[in-house]
Amino acid sequence: MFFHIVLERNMQLHPRYFGRNLRDNLVSKLMKDVEGTCSGRHGFVVAVTGIENIGKGLIRDGTGFVTFPVKYQCVVFRPFKGEILEAVVTMVNKMGFFAEAGPVQIFVSNHLIPDDMEFQSGDMPNYTTSDGSVKIQKDSEVRLKIIGTRVDATEIFCIGTIKDDFLGVINDPATV
Amino acid sequence: MIEPYNKLVKLAARAFYDDLTSKGDNQLKTGRSDNRGIAVVVLDALTRRQWVREEDLAKDLKLHTKQLRRTLRFFEEEKIITRDHRRETAKGAKIYSAAVAATADGHQAAKEGEEKVKLHTHSYCCLDYAQIYDVIRYRLHRMKHKLKDELENKNTLQEYICPNCGKRYNALDALRLVSFEDEDFHCESCDGKLEVEIDKIAAQDGGDGDDNARRRRREKLKDMLQKMEAQLKPLMDQLSRVKDLPVPEFGNLQAWEARASAAVRAAGGDINAGDSKMSQLGYNGVPLPYRGDTKVVVDFNNTEGEGEGFKSETDSTTLKVLPPWMITSGMNLTKEQRGEVKEETKLDGTSTSTATQDTDDKKSTIAHAHNKNIQDEYIKAYYAALLKQQHEMEEATKNQLSNALVAANPSSNTSNRQVGNKSKREEDDDGTEWEEAPIAGNGNEGYKVGDLNVEAEKVPADDEDDDVDWEEG
Ligand SMILES: [Zn+2]
Repeated sequence: MFFHIVLERNMQLHPRYFGRNLRDNLVSKLMKDVEGTCSGRHGFVVAVTGIENIGKGLIRDGTGFVTFPVKYQCVVFRPFKGEILEAVVTMVNKMGFFAEAGPVQIFVSNHLIPDDMEFQSGDMPNYTTSDGSVKIQKDSEVRLKIIGTRVDATEIFCIGTIKDDFLGVINDPATV
Repeated sequence: MIEPYNKLVKLAARAFYDDLTSKGDNQLKTGRSDNRGIAVVVLDALTRRQWVREEDLAKDLKLHTKQLRRTLRFFEEEKIITRDHRRETAKGAKIYSAAVAATADGHQAAKEGEEKVKLHTHSYCCLDYAQIYDVIRYRLHRMKHKLKDELENKNTLQEYICPNCGKRYNALDALRLVSFEDEDFHCESCDGKLEVEIDKIAAQDGGDGDDNARRRRREKLKDMLQKMEAQLKPLMDQLSRVKDLPVPEFGNLQAWEARASAAVRAAGGDINAGDSKMSQLGYNGVPLPYRGDTKVVVDFNNTEGEGEGFKSETDSTTLKVLPPWMITSGMNLTKEQRGEVKEETKLDGTSTSTATQDTDDKKSTIAHAHNKNIQDEYIKAYYAALLKQQHEMEEATKNQLSNALVAANPSSNTSNRQVGNKSKREEDDDGTEWEEAPIAGNGNEGYKVGDLNVEAEKVPADDEDDDVDWEEG
C-alpha cells in the first residue's frame, strides 16, 4: 500500500555546500539519501515530494559539518499481510518462485502454487498446468496475495500465495 | 412467493444473530439487561411486514425505540434491511396516530392543530430480500473458506530443514537461501541442500508439545467444519430452494407507499375494514388531502369496473372479506398479495415487451428527466391496483403463469372487452419499468394511450397538490 507521509531526517552537510544554494544542495542530497531506501517501519521510500521545513543547523565540533533537521513529505510503499499485489516473476525454481512488485521481493513457495501446476526444469524453469494453458516463468506477471512479511530495520521481504480465487498469471510473456 | 424467502430470513436469524446483544460485550449481563434473541424477534417481525415505521414496530414488539433502532442499525450495516428516513408533515403523523389511538414520542405535537407544518423525522425499515440472499451466501462462503484454508495450511509458512545440521528455515528466509548454481535452497551454515518439511503433523504423531497442539487444532478445525455443514444444512437447503425464485422486492419507500395506498383505494372507500395493516399503509405518510381525492379515483375505478363486467364488484369485496388464498398465508397476506401483483406485472411486462418497445424507448429518455416523480408513481400504483383487480377478477386463484398467458395473447381479449385489454397493456408498460426500480415517466404515456384520459388527468393534478403539501408540510 502507498502512503504519503511526513518524515524527518538529520542531514549532515559539508561546509563546501554552504552558500546561496544551501537549500537546494540539502534537498538534492536528501533525495539521493532516502529515495529507494527501506525502513521496516515505513516501508520503501518511493519519492520525496516536498520539504515541510528545515530546522536550524548545528555545527559539529571538530569537523565543521553542519547537521540540519529536515522534515519532508514522501511517498512510501509498504506491503501488508492480506494485500493483493501484481508482481513480475524474477526467478523460478523447484521450491517456488520469486517475484518483484516495485522494490518489494516476494517468494511464493510451491505449496502455495495451485496443485494443478507442476514444476518443469530446463533452460526456462516454469510451473505449468497439465494442459499447458497457464505457465509461470521468468517475466510472467502474476497477481498474488501477501500472506506474510518479514520486516527488518532496513528490509522487507514477503511471502505470497497464488492459491486463491482470481490469483495467478495475469499476463504470460510467452503468449504475447 | 415470499414465504420461502421469509423462511430463509428466519433460519439465518437463528443461525447468525441468535446471540446478538445490542449492548457492549464488556457490559455485565444481568437477567434484565440480557437482550439476546432480540435480533431474531425483530427479523421475524419484519418478515410479517413490508415497509414499516420504526416507531410502530417498536410498539408492536413492546420494545423501546432506542433499543429497536440499535438492532435495526446493526441489520442495516449487515445489509439485511434497508431504511429510509423522512421528514413528514404533522398531518401524516396525526392520521397515523389517530389510527393507532396512541400518543407516543414525537406525535403529541402533531395531534394538536392540523394546520401545523411542523416536521418530524420518521424512520422506516424493510427487509431487503435480494441482498439478504447474497449476504447469507457470502457469509457461508467465507466461513467455509476460512476453515478450509486453515485446515489445508494454506496460509502457513512453508518450512525447510537442513538434513546435515538440522537447522530450520522458513519461506521468509527464502531470499538468503537461494543459490545461483542450482535450483535448491542451501543451508547458510553448512551449504547442505534444504528439504521441504512435508506435513509434519501427519508424519510424527507423538511429536513435541507444539506439534500436539497443532494436531489438536487440526482436529478441532475438522470438527468445526463438519459441524458447520451439519448445522447449517437447513439454511443451505433453503438457499438452494430460493435460488430460482424471483426475489420479492418492495422498491423504495415512496414507490411502495404509492402502491400500497393505491391498493387501499382500489379496495374501495372502506379502508378500515379488512386488513388493518393495509389501512395503516394507506395512512402512512400520505397526507390528508389524498383521501379526499381518492374518492374521485375510486368512483372512476368502480365505473370502470362496471363497464367491464359485474365481476369487479365482487372482487373489491373479496379484498375485504379475505379470499381463501389470502387467509392461508395468515399474517403475510398483504405481502403475498402485493408480491403476486408484482409478479403479474413483471411477467406481463416481459411477455408483451416486444409490442411496447417503441414506447419503452421513449420512456427511458423521459424517465431520466422525471426520475422519482411522485405523480407518476401514483399513476403507476393506481394502474397496478387496477391490473390486480382485473387479474383477480379473471382468475382469482390462478397463478401468475396463467395470467401471463392471458396477457400474451391479447387478441382473444380484444373482441370481448376492450377496456380491460387496453388498460392492461398500459400496466404492462409499468411492469417493465418497475423492474428497473425508480424510473418514472411512463405514466404519462400510459394514460394518453388509454381511453381514460379524463379521469386519468385528474389523478396527476391531485398528486401535484399533494406534492406541494408534502414538501412544505
Ligand atoms: Zn546445514
